Amino acid sequence: MLASRTGAAAAVIALISVTASAEPRVSVMSQWTAGAEGAALNAFGDLVTKAGAKWENNSVSGFTTDMMNKLRADIIAGHPPAMSQLKGPEIKEWSAIAPTVNLNEIVAEVGYEKMISPDLAKIHKVNGNWVALPLQIYRVNTLFASKKAMDKIGATALPKTWDEFNAMAKKFADAGITPVAHGGLPWADTMDFEIVLAGMSPAAYKKAIMDLDDTALRGPEVLAALTELRQMTKWMNPSNAGQHWSVFLPNLMKGEYGFLMMGGWASGVLKRGQFEEGKDFLCGPTPNNSGKPVFDMNADGLIFWDTKNADYAAGQKIAAKVAMGQEFNRVFTQINGSIPVRSDIDLSDAAYQPCQRDAGANLAGAVAANQVVMSLGHNMAQPNAATAALRDVLTEFVHNNTITPAEAQQRLADAADTVR
Amino acid sequence: MVESRSTGRAGGRFALYAVLVAFAAFYLTPLVVVFLNSFRSLEEITQTSVLGIPHAIRWENWAQAWGSYCIGGICSGISPYMWNSVAIAVPATLLSTLVGALNGYLLSLWRFKGSQIAFGVITFGVFLPAQMKLVPWAITLRALDLSDTVTGLTLIHIVQGMSFTTLFCRNYYVNVPADLINSAKVDGAGFLQIFRRIVLPLSPPILIVTVIWQFTNIWNEYLYGITFSEGSHRPVTAALMAFSANIAQAREYGIESAAVLLAALPTILVYLFGGKYFLRGLTAGAVK
Amino acid sequence: MRSPSVSARQGPVLSRQRSQRRVWAKWVETFAKGGAYIILAAGILYVVGFTLWTMWISLTDSTLLPNYAFVGFKHYSRLLQSRVWQVAYINLFVYGVAFVSISCGIGMLLAVLIDQRIRAENLFRTIFLYPMALSFVVTGTVWGWILNPTIGAEHFVRGLGWMEFRFDWIVDRNMAIYTISIAAVWQASGFAMALFLAGLRSLDADLYNAAQIDGASPLRMYVRILIPAIWPIVASVLVILLQLALKTYDLVQAMTAGGPGIATMLPTNVVYDYMFQRGQMGEGSAAAVMLLMSLLIVILPYVVLQQIRRRGQAPNG
Repeated sequence: MLASRTGAAAAVIALISVTASAEPRVSVMSQWTAGAEGAALNAFGDLVTKAGAKWENNSVSGFTTDMMNKLRADIIAGHPPAMSQLKGPEIKEWSAIAPTVNLNEIVAEVGYEKMISPDLAKIHKVNGNWVALPLQIYRVNTLFASKKAMDKIGATALPKTWDEFNAMAKKFADAGITPVAHGGLPWADTMDFEIVLAGMSPAAYKKAIMDLDDTALRGPEVLAALTELRQMTKWMNPSNAGQHWSVFLPNLMKGEYGFLMMGGWASGVLKRGQFEEGKDFLCGPTPNNSGKPVFDMNADGLIFWDTKNADYAAGQKIAAKVAMGQEFNRVFTQINGSIPVRSDIDLSDAAYQPCQRDAGANLAGAVAANQVVMSLGHNMAQPNAATAALRDVLTEFVHNNTITPAEAQQRLADAADTVR
Repeated sequence: MVESRSTGRAGGRFALYAVLVAFAAFYLTPLVVVFLNSFRSLEEITQTSVLGIPHAIRWENWAQAWGSYCIGGICSGISPYMWNSVAIAVPATLLSTLVGALNGYLLSLWRFKGSQIAFGVITFGVFLPAQMKLVPWAITLRALDLSDTVTGLTLIHIVQGMSFTTLFCRNYYVNVPADLINSAKVDGAGFLQIFRRIVLPLSPPILIVTVIWQFTNIWNEYLYGITFSEGSHRPVTAALMAFSANIAQAREYGIESAAVLLAALPTILVYLFGGKYFLRGLTAGAVK
Repeated sequence: MRSPSVSARQGPVLSRQRSQRRVWAKWVETFAKGGAYIILAAGILYVVGFTLWTMWISLTDSTLLPNYAFVGFKHYSRLLQSRVWQVAYINLFVYGVAFVSISCGIGMLLAVLIDQRIRAENLFRTIFLYPMALSFVVTGTVWGWILNPTIGAEHFVRGLGWMEFRFDWIVDRNMAIYTISIAAVWQASGFAMALFLAGLRSLDADLYNAAQIDGASPLRMYVRILIPAIWPIVASVLVILLQLALKTYDLVQAMTAGGPGIATMLPTNVVYDYMFQRGQMGEGSAAAVMLLMSLLIVILPYVVLQQIRRRGQAPNG
């Protein structure tokens, strides 16, 4: 009798201790299955494992939409991942359809908010609560130039203003070099427009693109940007359409093209192709008429879902702390060729390329001058429906020379009306 | 000027073969492009062009594609995913064929009121675009508690394949002589007996057509394979996407080409060896 | 030779076993037949259910997830007014007609050629058929490279010396849709060929002999006699190609990404774009429904025709 009661008590105690201690683990859904991105994610995983949580990599290869479909299916099935890759205004949209975790406590603990750009912080908070964390930043408004092409026209420095850009482009054209390399995918067409507008008037960009203000959309700055874009399309090879931008890299490096406007990630791709900065290409910010630095931002983030599971909840706390830490910021961005989210990371480390350091300095300057804008083409400025509506207009404009800038402006403003 | 008949015919034969070879070149060109790329290094492709002849043969592309390329944190290439595809495609093909045969048999040899309409409705399923069925399937799998399981994905392929397989089989079985069936019914044979004893033995031609068609479609299917499978159970089509679809990356064209050829091998072999039977099956009245 | 007493004893046992077996067999038969009906019903439920669900969602304000509150036909009117849908719809017609007719034409030509008792028939047949085994994503990407003027065919031919050669359809917004047709024809015409060849082979030898005795030239023989004789197969090929055309999605994504601009968008691309990329499930569903409706308008005549024909032909039809 006594033995069985002790036995029962022991069993009960064992049961309590098993349920009381959660085993921290965390699942991550992302597109980063392979290459540099995959390696960076694995590095994140190693840091999280070291910090005490089990790492479950649920990466989904394919286009972003496929990953979001998987997320949607998982949400419908009732078991979202603990963290999933999400960025821009879509964070707010998706947070409305499934419960998220409030990270305010951990963010306050680390003192994170004062270390990152306020425009970036805004995007990862919903109703004042942190539901997502940024992972890395890319500068979208980066200008690459072919050293061979520059040598041919006797130029040594990248153009600083749009007038200088136009002059240099004309010199390229006269020398038989196609001034602007372009792949021709719809997001790249959109990106070129936003780079021009941000370079001409970041204030107009913020009003027109980020706020969808009708007056700004129908205003002179947007028209000027479209006019410059039209000129640029005349400097592009009309045969460049529908291709990934990297397909024409060989031609750019050979000196058949002059400029490429692309995000900072391109420097990583060039490095992988054994091209050297300074020797084969030059890298810097795109032309900017405002005199103070402008930064067109693309930033990846992770949203934290409420999984109603104690293990995942514990794991999320650990992973969040890691993601806000210095080591993660360093390791992740070094592998990916991006720049850290935290402003206190020293980029003079040899593992960073000159192009990254340039972008980092650019970001700091732009934050100080309040000229940080969010990328339209990379879904940072607007939710997807609005982005797509504007993108349709812009991609048609780029590939159809008969559409005038005035017409395009009209269509752009009308498109914004349908999604406001 | 009258040409002798033999030279005329020889000229005709020459022209015939010339046309066939010209078409063959047209059909083979993409395969040649991919094949050549599978031996080129990424550096070479980035330095020259995506289309070109290898300067140096890089055999490692194939080894990496098969066994060591890192996908989603696991560095075993696409080989594990090939087996996943086999695990999904083989049962789904066999079961959807069986289901199609049963349906076709029921609809053609056991007429009931509305069997024509039923056939029409099931055939209409052939035209439903995959995108529109994605969310309903997510809801259905949740209701059946099969979300994120291989069983769930296989079920999707079986049900969706039903439309095609029923179409093929039913159009084949309508040509089975009615007397054969009626006399068996008079003898007292039942539904299953007639199927096993009379209909199945007549079916190999259409079953082979159906199996080949289904296997090809299921093996190459990508949308559902990605959305309704988990991590290590993904089909090979999902793994292939790991090589591409990246804005920010240097796309590993060389290894991707090798992986694409490896993944296409099963279906190409099926056509190579099954092609003869495919034709025989069609000849026997599959699509009349 | 069994003793009469044994067989007398075994008699009732055997007949009981036989009647038990008969009962069991009958039960299996009923179960099998019932099961078959259930499977058929499941298939019908799937088609009808999913279609009705999509129709319902098209009348709601669903965005990222389904939302079942009714809002009327606003998605339909917005789609009909949007440039993308208009372009896509016209593209479907242009692409569909080009793809189906050229695939049929080439398929028929190749079938006739192979039917001439050529050597290496297996080899040729496999070469023409293998494209069907590849996924559209791969096909689209490679054709996108081959047809691109800067790196592909035009560049290659110019490199051979012919400097005025132009083949830039894929970047020309008026001609790009035809390049999609080229890639799609490449993929599917071999299948059409296989079906036509099977049809020709299944024709009565007498028909061939009679036609040859007539003294008609080979061309006339085929055009006037043999091809019309396999009309049922031609109709089936048309249906299979039509459904392929309608469901074309990956090919466009991989080859041109819907470009240049929006010049090569097809309805399925619009469905996918609205439903999943833009998070407007209601509007995407409306696009899908409109696609199916236009399809029904095309198929209905064929179905009716088939009914009439089948009533005259097959024993169980």
